[in-house]
Amino acid sequence: MPVTFTFGEMLSARSVIGTTLAELGDDYPNLWVLTPDIGATLVEFRDKFPERFLDVGLAEQVCVGIAAGLAYDGNIPVVSGMLPFLSMRALEQVRSDVCYPNLPVKIIGTHGGLVGNGGSTHYAVEDLALMCALTNMTVTSIGDPAMVGEILRQSMTMEGPIYIRLAVGKSDKVLYEPGEHDIRIGKGIIAREGTDATIFTHGTVVAQALDAAEELAKDGRSVRVVDMFTLKPIDEELIVQCAAETGGRFVILEDHLAYGGLASRVADVVADRGIRLTAFERLGIPQVYAGFGNDEELRDKHGYGLAATIAATRRVIAADDE
Amino acid sequence: MGRESLQPGVEPRSVEELEDLAFELRSKLLHLCGTYEGAVHIGGDLSAADIFTALFEYGLHVDPSDLRNPERDRFVLSKGHAAVCMYIAMSIRGFFSYEGIVETYGQLDSAYGMHPCKVQLPGVECSTGSLGHGLPLAVGMALSARGRGESHRVVCLLGDGETGEGSVWEAAMAARSNELGNLVAFVDRNRQLMTSFAEERVVFEPYPDKWAAFGWNVVHIDGHDMAQLVEAIDGLPATDSDRPTVVICETIKGKGVDFMEHNLAWHAGSLGAADLERAMAALQASREKESV
Repeated sequence: MPVTFTFGEMLSARSVIGTTLAELGDDYPNLWVLTPDIGATLVEFRDKFPERFLDVGLAEQVCVGIAAGLAYDGNIPVVSGMLPFLSMRALEQVRSDVCYPNLPVKIIGTHGGLVGNGGSTHYAVEDLALMCALTNMTVTSIGDPAMVGEILRQSMTMEGPIYIRLAVGKSDKVLYEPGEHDIRIGKGIIAREGTDATIFTHGTVVAQALDAAEELAKDGRSVRVVDMFTLKPIDEELIVQCAAETGGRFVILEDHLAYGGLASRVADVVADRGIRLTAFERLGIPQVYAGFGNDEELRDKHGYGLAATIAATRRVIAADDE
Repeated sequence: MGRESLQPGVEPRSVEELEDLAFELRSKLLHLCGTYEGAVHIGGDLSAADIFTALFEYGLHVDPSDLRNPERDRFVLSKGHAAVCMYIAMSIRGFFSYEGIVETYGQLDSAYGMHPCKVQLPGVECSTGSLGHGLPLAVGMALSARGRGESHRVVCLLGDGETGEGSVWEAAMAARSNELGNLVAFVDRNRQLMTSFAEERVVFEPYPDKWAAFGWNVVHIDGHDMAQLVEAIDGLPATDSDRPTVVICETIKGKGVDFMEHNLAWHAGSLGAADLERAMAALQASREKESV
């Protein structure tokens, strides 16, 4: 059954993944789904295509290695699991077995950022830095739960590997009206127009950036929000465009280490392209192993919650341009 | 094209022919080790030379002129540092020219390097080198064959040292769980790691029991006895059977060259002109001794 959704409603990204994979299994008879014991959302695919579903149990390394072996023989493997383990325990398999021969393995998972209240073993906070470092890897981080289906669909025809990052993915607000944006891997989405500053963001905190922009609009501030859901390859032209159209005032907000993720990728483009900025602030996870608490509390505690986003954006807008 | 066309030779090779080919492989290895200025993993090449020969000249259904034949057997070199031994074994089988290997090995833009790269060298099934990665890849290939109802085998060659990697045992468990009777692992049990002898720092024994405990069909042979290698290959269970097989091959690191055998200094090395002459003489003497 196709999932239907409405703008503003809560939707489970995991259910979208499950349904999308079950649909894609019909279109792509060489599509396999693998998981290291995180298969609850994959039941629909498993029941429909049991011969192309593999749960290896708790063994991330072999899960990615098997996916590479399948891909060598012309299959399209999707590995679904928890990102702290897929991005770190199996990092070398991702790098040497998947990226080195440029195989079309899709790695999709949850727990990107300080989400899920599992403690630091269960937060993937370095994953985007690690994945962006890998030659041949395309890196995405998805906030809109409906969008993940589209990204999966597009990934089917990609030649090389892709990493698709979600937060918990159980219940997130649908951010975009269906058909509202042209969603393409490698292209950022202007989620909200504005002219005073741009907040670049990705993943679960896109919603927070939109809330911040809404709040600032009450003071007459016009803040653009860019959902830079593809971190690699990054949409350089959109960065150039936003610098020109929003006074060179950038805030980067992400649920990832503040250094090594989107902020660093944007800063690289700014430096490489010689873009003149008026102000640049990054909001993300500092060098801490965060403890417990709900997502919002953790973001507030570590300096990248809603209030901090609003404050940083105000500072950036107020910054002198000389 | 059916699998019949993928057999090595019209008639299966005899044990004597295979022994001659293994000698040729070792001679060419030593020659390369003498001409290439960098280090060659000669110890683990020589320990695996008989296994490579038995596979490429007897066991594997492959066709050098038809690299993408879906019915070909897949060979995964998990001990990627033995790449040069594989290149030469494949050249003897007709995949590449030996001259091309010797003349360019390790040089800028050569397809022949220390660890095999599928992207640069078509004919090689996969890129390996980091130890413990090959068996998971082989499991994936065996699953793919199963999924498509294909009847070829997936054969993976591992060193015993690398079976210290946990990912090998993850793969062993996955292979058994998925009843991959089309998967065969050959372990080059040369009982030497890079810097120590097996059992000295790392206890591997009871080694066959470990594989048996993971539910594998275990065959234990002398990996330098070509008749035993042939017998092990002949005795492999049908590919639609439900247990993966491991052929544990007892071998000697540096086999065939007396001053390299059981010698940690020859995990990897390079031969000068005088050493090459000495090594070739030792290889010849070892052959004569064994044919008596």
